[in-house]
Amino acid sequence: MGATHVPMVEDLPPRHRLSLRVREGGRGAVGAALGLDLPERVGERARGGGREALCLGPDEWLIEAEEADAAALARALGGVDVSHAAVDISDREVGFRVSGPGTLALLAMGCPRDVARIAPGRGARTIFHGASVVIRREAEEEVRIDIWRSVAPHVRALMETGLKELRAGL
Amino acid sequence: MSRHRIPGRGRVDAGRPVQFTFDGRSYDGLQGDTLASALLSHGVHLMGRSFKYHRPRGPVTAGSEEPNALVGTSRGPGRTEPNTRATVQELRHGLVAESQNRWPTLSFDAGAVNDALSPLFSAGFYYKTFMWPRNFWDKVYEPVIRRAAGLGRAPTEEDPDIYASRYAHTDVLVVGAGPSGIAAALAAARAGASVTLADEGTEIGGSLLSDPGVEIDGSPAWDWLEDRAAELRDLGVTLLTRTTAIGYYHQNFLGLVERLTDHLDEIPHGAPRERMWRLRAARVVLAQGALERPLVFDGNDRPGVMLAGAAQTYLNRYGVAVGERAVVVTSHDSAYYAAFDLADAGIAVPAIIDTRAEIRPDLASEARLRAIEVLSGHTVTATSGRLCVASVTANPVTGGEVGEGRQLRCDCLLVSGGWTPSLHLFSHTKASLSWDAEAGTFLPDRSLEDLHLAGAGRGLWGYAASLSDGAEAGAAAAHALGHAAQATGLLVARDRIGTGITHGQLPTHRAPSRVRAFVDYQNDVTAKDIKLAVSEGMRSIEHVKRYTTTGMATDQGKLSNLNALAIAADALGTTPPQVGLTTFRPPYTPTTFATFAGYHRGAAFEVTRRTPIDGWAEENGAVWEPVGQWRRARHFPQGDEDMDAAVDRECRAVRAGVGIFDASTLGKIDVTGPDAATFMNRMYTNAWTKLAPGRCRYGLLLGEDGYVRDDGVVGRMAEDRFHVTTTTGGAARVLTMMEDYLQTEWPDLDVWLTSTTEHWAVVALNGPRARDVLAPLVEGLDISGEAFPMMSVAECTVAGFPARLFRLSFTGELGYEINVPARHGRALWEALMAAGADHGITPYGTEAMHVLRAEKGFIIVGQDTDGTVTPEDLGLGWTIGKTKEDFVGMRSLSRPDLVARGRKQFVGLLTADGAVRLEEGAQIVDDPDQPLPMRMIGHVTSSYNSAALGRSIALAVVENGRERMGETVHIPMPEGNVEATIAPGVFYDPDGGRAKL
Amino acid sequence: MLLIHCPYCDETLPEMEFAYAGEAHVARPVDPSRTTDEEWRDHLFVRSNTRGPHAERWRHVHGCARFFNAVRDTVTDRVLATYPAGSPRPDLPGKDTP
Repeated sequence: MGATHVPMVEDLPPRHRLSLRVREGGRGAVGAALGLDLPERVGERARGGGREALCLGPDEWLIEAEEADAAALARALGGVDVSHAAVDISDREVGFRVSGPGTLALLAMGCPRDVARIAPGRGARTIFHGASVVIRREAEEEVRIDIWRSVAPHVRALMETGLKELRAGL
Repeated sequence: MSRHRIPGRGRVDAGRPVQFTFDGRSYDGLQGDTLASALLSHGVHLMGRSFKYHRPRGPVTAGSEEPNALVGTSRGPGRTEPNTRATVQELRHGLVAESQNRWPTLSFDAGAVNDALSPLFSAGFYYKTFMWPRNFWDKVYEPVIRRAAGLGRAPTEEDPDIYASRYAHTDVLVVGAGPSGIAAALAAARAGASVTLADEGTEIGGSLLSDPGVEIDGSPAWDWLEDRAAELRDLGVTLLTRTTAIGYYHQNFLGLVERLTDHLDEIPHGAPRERMWRLRAARVVLAQGALERPLVFDGNDRPGVMLAGAAQTYLNRYGVAVGERAVVVTSHDSAYYAAFDLADAGIAVPAIIDTRAEIRPDLASEARLRAIEVLSGHTVTATSGRLCVASVTANPVTGGEVGEGRQLRCDCLLVSGGWTPSLHLFSHTKASLSWDAEAGTFLPDRSLEDLHLAGAGRGLWGYAASLSDGAEAGAAAAHALGHAAQATGLLVARDRIGTGITHGQLPTHRAPSRVRAFVDYQNDVTAKDIKLAVSEGMRSIEHVKRYTTTGMATDQGKLSNLNALAIAADALGTTPPQVGLTTFRPPYTPTTFATFAGYHRGAAFEVTRRTPIDGWAEENGAVWEPVGQWRRARHFPQGDEDMDAAVDRECRAVRAGVGIFDASTLGKIDVTGPDAATFMNRMYTNAWTKLAPGRCRYGLLLGEDGYVRDDGVVGRMAEDRFHVTTTTGGAARVLTMMEDYLQTEWPDLDVWLTSTTEHWAVVALNGPRARDVLAPLVEGLDISGEAFPMMSVAECTVAGFPARLFRLSFTGELGYEINVPARHGRALWEALMAAGADHGITPYGTEAMHVLRAEKGFIIVGQDTDGTVTPEDLGLGWTIGKTKEDFVGMRSLSRPDLVARGRKQFVGLLTADGAVRLEEGAQIVDDPDQPLPMRMIGHVTSSYNSAALGRSIALAVVENGRERMGETVHIPMPEGNVEATIAPGVFYDPDGGRAKL
Repeated sequence: MLLIHCPYCDETLPEMEFAYAGEAHVARPVDPSRTTDEEWRDHLFVRSNTRGPHAERWRHVHGCARFFNAVRDTVTDRVLATYPAGSPRPDLPGKDTP
């Protein structure tokens, strides 16, 4: 297995998260209101003005922003004249970051998907240790993971076991 | 140096002795030894006793296919393992090994009396003997057989080790790092493919580790291996040694078990013992090689009788002579090379007994050079020796007649009946095999997988052939992935080519009843047993296997299957493919259970979901109960209260003052869009169009079959937005069902669904003083009874947190459910506890919640319903929107059987004696004196002690129950009959005035 | 564990991200109240139980969350094609059970 690589796992502070749903015809208008070019393909991301959109499904985007931006976001979306749904899910998930060499090995302990094939800058909803998660690949060896709050302790405990395993170097 | 160790030979490290014990006696071996090679270096062949006859047995192989040398190993408390194969257990300092299936000692075993009684234990013995009397089965036979059966003892302590799991993805997986596997990995990696090379052994090389005399491209085999290992590393090939590919599943998905610590003297902290690789490969190259096949003759199971290839491995790889005087018996050329290697190492090899009449001239002359007598056209009819073989009897066979025998003295007998390609993994995905009559074996035929086979695993023999075949397979794999790949040829000198024939049982002139020729060593199945099975009517190998237990031992017939098949085919006068081949199933070799479980043991066995208030409940002594994946506080005992006392106290507090309850697990779905009300109308039984924003309604969800699936309160937050709640266990199911209809039946509707279950923490306040506690904390909303009546919802601020406040009641008391963003859940709870302190606020758990709702006759879906209950059965017909033309399940409500009389209806039950609490699930009958089986008219769905009523209460479904108010029914229980009266389901505050305060 | 191509994500992904959802092309009657008891029974309960290529529904539940259709050979357990919900079953010449 070669050298011992142990990544760092850290909790991330809360972010404002919206689940945004809109049909293809309204994507442009809603994106314009947010100041983002909502990406068309699942897994792609767009960033701008401190806001980020990750396309999770053909009519679904996860919008992330600073918490202080929440009211402005709501106002911007309130003015859109296209059918859509924007639901505050800020507290549904908690986020953490895994970074450093060994990141992909730690993920491979519970994620059946080949995370190496999620290019840096992209993201995906997938399954990790039995739980639905949103993974954003920030760099070769850096990912952010959003996971439902109630299962986070379970998954974090499994990751601690994994870190111990990586430290043991076998 | 131990007696049988040959200095300067093998890959063991003479400078690093390793101490271990076997059956309490200390031995030393060398770094690089297996337990078997170390014991053999001390002349110890006897390592175990067979399963049925307790016959003394020694190792017959040097690999994972070993059926005999099974021992118990341990390295401290909990770290014991039964049935470890001594042939693969690497020696480590302090290894403790014990023989199995013997008492009192391995050399004197009382169970060996079975051997003397063997005429009694014929094939099918159990089926024939233990038939009657019938009640003897569980009283006598079963316990006695259970105690006598089995090899090792299962560990009794919890396994303290960690077992790991890892997903992996690779372009090319090569299984087997023998010559063809190495060549394949190199060809694929040189072409630029990502390659994983796995081998169950400790290092790469496979058969080359036992054939150091071969030269490849001008280098001695072991030098070539060292160079190739370095090249594989440089090419970035992932090399997994001590890793067994145990299963091959669809679309090139393989399970590989890597053994990480069993060979280590010290286990690094946190290191897993084994790791299950779940690997997906774009292409697979199977280069598993072949297994040597024993010959079947009388006395072929004595310790010291061993496969010729194994003896060669012990000599060349471990520097161990398996005896001082070796006789060889073979039907294949390969055993000659073993004989030559042993002779060249100074071991006496008086004779090679060959079943074939014609001997290859070069082999014959090589034998002559070494003064080895070759007895061509001979058979073996007997061996002698008690705990180790002492002689073998060779007889000439002429024209099918077995002539006079000649006894040859020996202390080991090396056997080869040819080679069987390992097609286990190939067969796991239903690939087909074809019979090669000439080779007397099955060969790979067709597979749906993207795979290649190479080398001995597809019937090739010799190093030059295997190396070039491997290179071609590796190049083909890389080529299939779009890489330009080349298979470079290799020059092999001193190659060891050969051919052979196969046999069932070797010919003998002795009376069949006196011949004990073993086919399956571990399960003690003899050739005679297989013939008996055929004569008793077994025609398929699947039946022969089950009747005789051949191939059912821990080695799964790796040595025995083809011999058994050949003997059965001979007995039936047909060919092996006509008799069939048993199905190969994973795992390839015995695999630790914990390795399958991986990380999912103990607390991590399954996902445990925790609410934001979980920590408070834990600190305050909650007793937990699992609800779906959640853990929920069941009750909060104080002092030495038992559950009944705690629940009683919690219920009284809610009825008399105020209780606080963590309802965060309730499923929540946000339904938003211009068509939200239309969608809700189609999904739920209720009418939603006229529900005003700010109001709530109890909603009932059916399946399309008309049966109740879920329920919950739904609040209308705005014209185009509903806040739907579901049961705790139903949250995911309901969302899936809604998405299904929305996406596939009504994709035209402009509405979207979002799970908000975990966005909100929910705290329920219930009791006459609920408002007194809550009101001072609320900002931005008048929660007086007039301004905020029952079934209202509004957004406001509670204790400084943004909140969605519901006024509803699942207890029958004045009630509120406060939703705040989850991160504030615990702070809200603590603020309410502080605000309620003066009011005696009491936390209550799910058990009190159940009692309180049962007193009101409120159903719990999944407890009072079982998937066959309609709204009408429950008395919930009022939830159905009267003017609706369609909703999910509506059509089914007019199906004949759903409107027929005699359906079970939801009612209350009051036992005649209020101190008696009915059992949930108990069956209800009209006449307790009727003959068995009684006619059951319903069952108890919920049953509790009611603090408010001072007696037990129950809910039940009873045929035509609502017409039978006041009638007596009976609940027969093991302790006696219980009498009960049918009553309305609402036991407490039937007018519902208390919730409307 | 199968590999399944999600027609919405346009990626081939491990089966663990997906959930099976029964036979495909079983459309809910537009007006169930107009169906006879027998027609409704068949809609609810009667399925083809095919040996060979079988049109069925899957959901990319741990992914884009969309329901879609697949043709899977029930003999070989191969997914022969996947296509969006609402699309007709594709013609798969030469993809019959061997």
